Amino acid sequence: MRALRRSAVRAFSEASEGVRIALSALVGARLRSFLTTLGIVIGVMTVIAIVAIIQGLDASFEAQMANLGANTVYVSKWKWFSTDEDWWEFRNRKNMGTKELRAVEEEALSATAVSPMQGLRALVQYLNHEVENVQTIGTSPRYLDTNGGAIQAGRFLSDPDVQLSRNSAVLGAEVAQRLFEGVAPERILGRRVLVNGVPFTVIGTMARRGRMLGMDMDVNVLVPYTTLLRDLGSKRSMTLAVAAAPGKLAQLEDELTGILRRVRHVPPGKKDDFSLNRQDQVLRMYNQLTGALYGVAIGVGLITLVVGGIGIMNIMLVSVTERTREIGVRRALGARRRTILFQFLLESSVVAALGGSVGTALGLGVAWIIQLVTPLAAAVTPSAVVLGVVFSAAVGLLFGSWPAWRAARLDPVEALRYE
Amino acid sequence: MAEPLILARDLARHYVVGGEVVRALDGVSFAIERGEFVAIVGQSGSGKSTLMNLVGCLDTPTSGTYRLNGADVQGLTDDALADLRNREIGFVFQTFQLLPRATALANVELPLVYRGVSRRERRHRAEAALAAVGLTNRLHHRPNELSGGQRQRVAVARALVGEPSLLLADEPTGNLDSATGEEIIRLFDDLHRRGHTIVLVTHEPRLAARCPRAIRLTDGRVVGDGPGAEIAALGGARAARA
Repeated sequence: MRALRRSAVRAFSEASEGVRIALSALVGARLRSFLTTLGIVIGVMTVIAIVAIIQGLDASFEAQMANLGANTVYVSKWKWFSTDEDWWEFRNRKNMGTKELRAVEEEALSATAVSPMQGLRALVQYLNHEVENVQTIGTSPRYLDTNGGAIQAGRFLSDPDVQLSRNSAVLGAEVAQRLFEGVAPERILGRRVLVNGVPFTVIGTMARRGRMLGMDMDVNVLVPYTTLLRDLGSKRSMTLAVAAAPGKLAQLEDELTGILRRVRHVPPGKKDDFSLNRQDQVLRMYNQLTGALYGVAIGVGLITLVVGGIGIMNIMLVSVTERTREIGVRRALGARRRTILFQFLLESSVVAALGGSVGTALGLGVAWIIQLVTPLAAAVTPSAVVLGVVFSAAVGLLFGSWPAWRAARLDPVEALRYE
Repeated sequence: MAEPLILARDLARHYVVGGEVVRALDGVSFAIERGEFVAIVGQSGSGKSTLMNLVGCLDTPTSGTYRLNGADVQGLTDDALADLRNREIGFVFQTFQLLPRATALANVELPLVYRGVSRRERRHRAEAALAAVGLTNRLHHRPNELSGGQRQRVAVARALVGEPSLLLADEPTGNLDSATGEEIIRLFDDLHRRGHTIVLVTHEPRLAARCPRAIRLTDGRVVGDGPGAEIAALGGARAARA
């Protein structure tokens, strides 16, 4: 019992002595410790910053997705996020048009709203103001139900606008602001703007929607699709946005497939010549993207941690050589091999853990700066911080083990004589 | 207790250097009783350092037996040797061998750390040991803030703090001027009077002459063992002949 207690006291006093020695060695060689841990600092900083940004992206992406109809199916001849090889297949499909729109409007029982979307990039002018590259969308009054968004001033497109192919336009918030700088929204109504040279009357403006996956949702103009087809002569294929009744998404997709195959005369046994796209495909794509980013972060982190670990190994080897006589003295005074081993392991992992802490702090700083100067939001979970510090300590332990082993293997006689 | 503190019988230590066997020690036998003050004297290459390493349990003999305080040293594991050194031997080195970044107090505490003595008791005993060598007012100085003589006193305090059965000093005055060296020797005399067993390894006959007993080594063999003054003179005579 006494022997047990004594060995426990011994282990504890050796450990506390080890920590004290490690810290005093660090303080004794501040510059060297700093340079040694630089690799670890940079590695952990990079990983923490990347992780913070990804987690921030996740949060803001989720918020944005919540804005959009998760229950909306986008019927198009194009498939979202297709590969280059597929491009020609989609390119050669028949365009989608009014015929499909009518059929879906009439027959899709699980749909709560259907809106067409026909787009082109246009130059929008008012007097001497102009905005280039505006997403001009030909649609119907159902657009608000399928795609979200709200009117800020005036009104949205109406059924008569569509039926009579009126030259009515609803301006996106950014377009309205840039064309009519300083003019109250109500006073914009009724003014005439030119879209690719064709005159349109402003009947309303949209509330600001922000950005979605880097796309500005406010640089657009909404016009009746009938007018767009007539005056702006788009020969591009139409997309149908179809909102499903709650819980009927799968049923809606079945209905849409049936309707479109019939209308587009797809023979039985042949593949669909259209695609049903959904927001969760965006989600999947997003996850792939951030998954790759995580991969990069882990890769960069591992490489720099290995480099940092080699730095630590290097400096610990130097330290062991420099302190050969000290090791000899300690051995002469009764330190066992494992005591010496433990002392140097402790030193290398303390160095690395300190480097990891500094790296974590810097990484958070970098994430914060990125948050300030870019639209990206950063967020960090405590687990990432703990992981960063623990992981770097583990690196110190791993790469410190060879130098520590060499220190422990020293012959006391040789070590004491070492010059 | 009938058995002497140190019992060396036919000790040999051979090294293989470049394929050739070097007999650093070649059959050395002697005994040292508790309370003796013995010099091991010899010129460089005589084997006295090798003998010191064996006596200090830093090394084990190639052949022969070495018993320290009733225990066989040969055949012990590395850990057991470390524990034996910690318990039985207090080292004083020529170059002091203090830890440069640690205070005098921390240096003296070190053997007790490896023995598992609690912090409070460690401090208490280290202070007492430093007081015993007259350094009460230098507890928190680092080695580079101390004179050579003071450093060696710290080293002596470190050697004494664990109450070992043997004080083993290797050229303890070698790096000191003669006046300071004299101080240290007087400190050893004093410790001897208080009952400590001291083995002092030196190449200086003058120093050996001051010890009650000396063992002279030449070429790895004992060539003289007797009162310090006689043995030192023996060396002087040999030196004169040569």
